[in-house]
Amino acid sequence: MTIASIKGIVKRYKHQIALDYVDLDIHEGEILGLLGPNGAGKTTLIHCLMGIIPFDKGVIQLFGQEGAVFHHENKKKMGLVTQEITVFEELTAKENLEFFAGVYGLKGEEKKQRVKEALEFVGLSSKAKQTPNKFSGGMKRRLNIACALTHRPKLLIMDEPTVGIDPQSRNHILDAVRKLKEQGTTILYTTHYMEEVQSIATRVVIVDQGQVISEGTVDELINNIQHEEKILIDVNDATMIPIDRLKSLEGVKQVQVNGSVIQIISNAGAGNLDRALSIVKETSGVVGIQAEKPNLEDVFLTLTGKQLRDGEDDPS
Amino acid sequence: MTIFRFALKRILRDKTNVLFLTLFPIAAIFLPTAEDGWPLLPLGYQYFGILLLFVSIRLTSIMIEDRQKGVVKRLAAAPVSHFNYLWQNLLAFSVIMIIQIIIIISGGYAYGHELYEPWNLTILYLVFMFTAISISLAWNSLYRSKESSFLIFMAVIVLMALLGGILFPVEMMPVVFERIAVIFPTYWLSEGIEWIVFGEDRGDFLFINGVLLLYALFFLIIGSIRRIS
Repeated sequence: MTIASIKGIVKRYKHQIALDYVDLDIHEGEILGLLGPNGAGKTTLIHCLMGIIPFDKGVIQLFGQEGAVFHHENKKKMGLVTQEITVFEELTAKENLEFFAGVYGLKGEEKKQRVKEALEFVGLSSKAKQTPNKFSGGMKRRLNIACALTHRPKLLIMDEPTVGIDPQSRNHILDAVRKLKEQGTTILYTTHYMEEVQSIATRVVIVDQGQVISEGTVDELINNIQHEEKILIDVNDATMIPIDRLKSLEGVKQVQVNGSVIQIISNAGAGNLDRALSIVKETSGVVGIQAEKPNLEDVFLTLTGKQLRDGEDDPS
Repeated sequence: MTIFRFALKRILRDKTNVLFLTLFPIAAIFLPTAEDGWPLLPLGYQYFGILLLFVSIRLTSIMIEDRQKGVVKRLAAAPVSHFNYLWQNLLAFSVIMIIQIIIIISGGYAYGHELYEPWNLTILYLVFMFTAISISLAWNSLYRSKESSFLIFMAVIVLMALLGGILFPVEMMPVVFERIAVIFPTYWLSEGIEWIVFGEDRGDFLFINGVLLLYALFFLIIGSIRRIS
């Protein structure tokens, strides 16, 4: 069953197009990974979906209702984990949850119980009476997530919830996301960390420059580019390598230099390994050779010609 | 009323705020009366309008913080309207400032100050309080940082107090300044104080409060526009 359906959404900021006829379906019970570099339009898409900002064209259907993004009844069924840590520093963790529970209409015993459950869920029960200014970055992020859970949303939208935290806290959050899925929550998870999407998402949508460029399961996306092979040659001196000669080899799609490693993507079975190796050996010693299995990063690179973390300073 | 309740909690959790909100009005009660006949009311009552402006900019700054941190965005995604968010916050600020007004009027009465018409003075302060909150709301909507908003507004308050006839009579200023003084809400506050002391036509008092309320409405509209980031 489709919980949210986005059809032909266009959003412009003056002359800049942030979303360019985006189509997207979110199915009940799935973790949909929305993957794209900063500035791709992920946050704008979320804001349109949550009714935070209006859009210029298109239709959004929520819980089977058309044009329902601004309805309070639908907003009660949705939760937003913001990219920024939107908690009150002067209130305790428990009071923060009470605030958001109250905003979503919870009262009395029910509110108390939900706040307790949310604190337990993110592992902050022992810190309930502490203010977040004494928390680590990871704890603040967990509290930020808990604030979106007290009203038990059917659709939870998480906008880069692991930005700037240590690996331990990240794992804690990813485990929590898996647990939420098991409990039946549908999750839209945006990130530019490919590893996160690969580990938790049931389906992935890749966006770039305001457009959906591909979608499917992780395996489907990888299979789509399996007709390519990736050769990594570690050399002594990468500056001496004649990149243009490598690029001119038949079947070679892309050549990139990352430090001392030359990365060559070419058509599978083009037989370029020997040819590339002999060109490289003419000018430099070879330290190592590796042929890699593609991952989502490669999918993204193949589809867009750039890496996921390009433009890190260009927030969407 | 969640937003109202938590706005009060947030304000009162800050110790500097509590000092600012309680000590200053109490201290104002004990300021003496001028011996040369101006200001017309005891000094604390003449300058209370300045305090209301300071308090209002301090209180409304929590809304800048909400915008800075993304709380406004999060609330926009919640089943609560921007109007609800706005009025519940404004109600919290008003409650605090009304308590301050009650403290200063009842304190002055008990202390034995000559307040001429304490009820009318209360009305004037209440109306000016709404104007002060609205001006601060509009002012804060122009800024992303509460620190820079507060610092620049302090200078604006001093300017308004100087040119509006709170710190010295408008009649002492050059004619040009005397003419432009009417554009400052502080001018209408000092006019109101003069009316309370001399008690002339009732219509004048209504007119003064009407002008202050118009200012309040104007700035409220400017300050109410939702700015998410």
